Amino acid sequence: MGFFELALIEATLLGALSGIVGTLVVLRKRSFFTVALTHATFPGGVVAAILGLNILFGAAVFSVLLVAIMLGISRVRRQGSQVASGVVLTFGFALGALLQSLNRDMSIQVDTFLIGSILTVSPGDIAVTAAVLLCAVIAIFVAGKQLLFSSFDPLGYRAAGFSPSRIDLLALGLIAATVVVAMPAVGSILAIALIAGPAVSARLILNRIEWMIPLAVVFGILSGVGGLWISRAFSIAAGGSIALTACALFVAAVAFDRVRRYLGSRRKSGSSQTQHVAA
Amino acid sequence: MDLSFFTDPFVYPFMSRALITVLVLAVASGVVGLFINLRNLEFISDGLVHAVFPGLVVGFVISGTDGLLPGALIAGVIAAVILTVVSRRGVGSDAAIAVVLAGSFSLGIVIVSRETNYVSQLEQLLFGGVLTVTESQLWQIIVVGALAVLMVGLTWRRQLYLSFDPSGFRASGYRTLPTELLFNCAIAFLVVAGSQALGNLLVLALLIVPAAIARLVSKRIGWLVPIATIAAALSGWLGLVTSFHTSVSAGLTPSPGSLIVIILIALYALTLLAHIVVSRLIVPRRALPQLSGGA
Repeated sequence: MGFFELALIEATLLGALSGIVGTLVVLRKRSFFTVALTHATFPGGVVAAILGLNILFGAAVFSVLLVAIMLGISRVRRQGSQVASGVVLTFGFALGALLQSLNRDMSIQVDTFLIGSILTVSPGDIAVTAAVLLCAVIAIFVAGKQLLFSSFDPLGYRAAGFSPSRIDLLALGLIAATVVVAMPAVGSILAIALIAGPAVSARLILNRIEWMIPLAVVFGILSGVGGLWISRAFSIAAGGSIALTACALFVAAVAFDRVRRYLGSRRKSGSSQTQHVAA
Repeated sequence: MDLSFFTDPFVYPFMSRALITVLVLAVASGVVGLFINLRNLEFISDGLVHAVFPGLVVGFVISGTDGLLPGALIAGVIAAVILTVVSRRGVGSDAAIAVVLAGSFSLGIVIVSRETNYVSQLEQLLFGGVLTVTESQLWQIIVVGALAVLMVGLTWRRQLYLSFDPSGFRASGYRTLPTELLFNCAIAFLVVAGSQALGNLLVLALLIVPAAIARLVSKRIGWLVPIATIAAALSGWLGLVTSFHTSVSAGLTPSPGSLIVIILIALYALTLLAHIVVSRLIVPRRALPQLSGGA
């Protein structure tokens, strides 16, 4: 199988995974958390590359570590979750940059971590992505209702006798795993476009929540595969092109939403006018 | 202890220029960072930091190094307007900010990837080079940074009112949009000023972390800006000294920008630990008399 076919498979799997997990990110308002996590995987990748370990492994260890730090800081008074994300984000980035500057003769270029290189993705990376996707699908089928309920109404969820911390841990685990497997393909900085873009577009278009995940998956695959195709056609960076495709879908969704609202408000005002005339 | 260890590096012009750059940024980010912290705008700042990147790239493509500043300023203002509008819409706004952020950044990446030898340029833009700041760049940084401080300083009372009581602000007849827009533009200006020296993403640390340290140390609003400035200046100075000595005596080449940020984060960690210890010590002392009184 050629490298482009491998990249296509990875883009499809990653797009589907991003659609599922991105829906959780959007509904639970965890976007900044996810951005911080994507940046925090950067030093993990650098450390793994220096030690000669698998990059995914290093990124996974660091993401667990930094999630723990973030949860700790967000509990301190006068700090909060935004500060926690900001501190962890800049820490991760500075640490990665520092380690990279101390090891100039490293075999892997720094931009591999930052913007990814989906065209050099290995069958091992694809297998890990497929495994995480499988876990996400199982989690949605087993605990989908609880995940959505707790996202929309945390107080009601607790009042109904469920444990909010357990479901929160499941959501955090899925988000962290997605961020880690996305890094080799689309990089630390651009992963958030693929994760948040399809889900927020699906949310703009749909009013019904149960179709949000399927539509987000479709949008995710569309962004991944479409972006890859555009990058080959115009010979531009694949990671950037995938992220831009996700953004283009978002802009289209915003336009769709605006037009629908405009038509809706015109219909409403039109009907009130006819009522006025009738009266 | 011999103090020359800390002052010696700055006899070299490139080191003293670097120190002045960092001190200017420390003062400016102390002022601007306060309101970022009070109004929870960390994520928007991150968005602005990323959004300036395509402006730098386009400016560089059009007219080389001279185009960096105008390109970044234009992109910063455009991004400030977009992010202000997006964040006012409420529903799903944080996800929308994330998409805007990654979208603008990937635009920069795509444009850069059309250029040859783009890796070194990307690194330069992201991590900056505080040791290679020239005299004219320093003046640009001072002017743009002063502009950002001026924008916040002239509307100080409004910014403070909006931070603490947004509904009161609206009720007393002020309009929130101009105030928010002006402040987001100030953030963008500061990001632009800092991005050449410290790099796009490490400026974010100067905007977020010193203010967070100040919030841990003091509850009084008047003290927050000085504490934040001192924290940033101190870590800037220590970072430059450390990077100088390690590269001279140990032969290592740590990037000074990231070293400054690591020291700043270490300062934050120490303050956080001290804060936790102190609050643990104070709470039992207050609780004890109640317990003994009850018994």
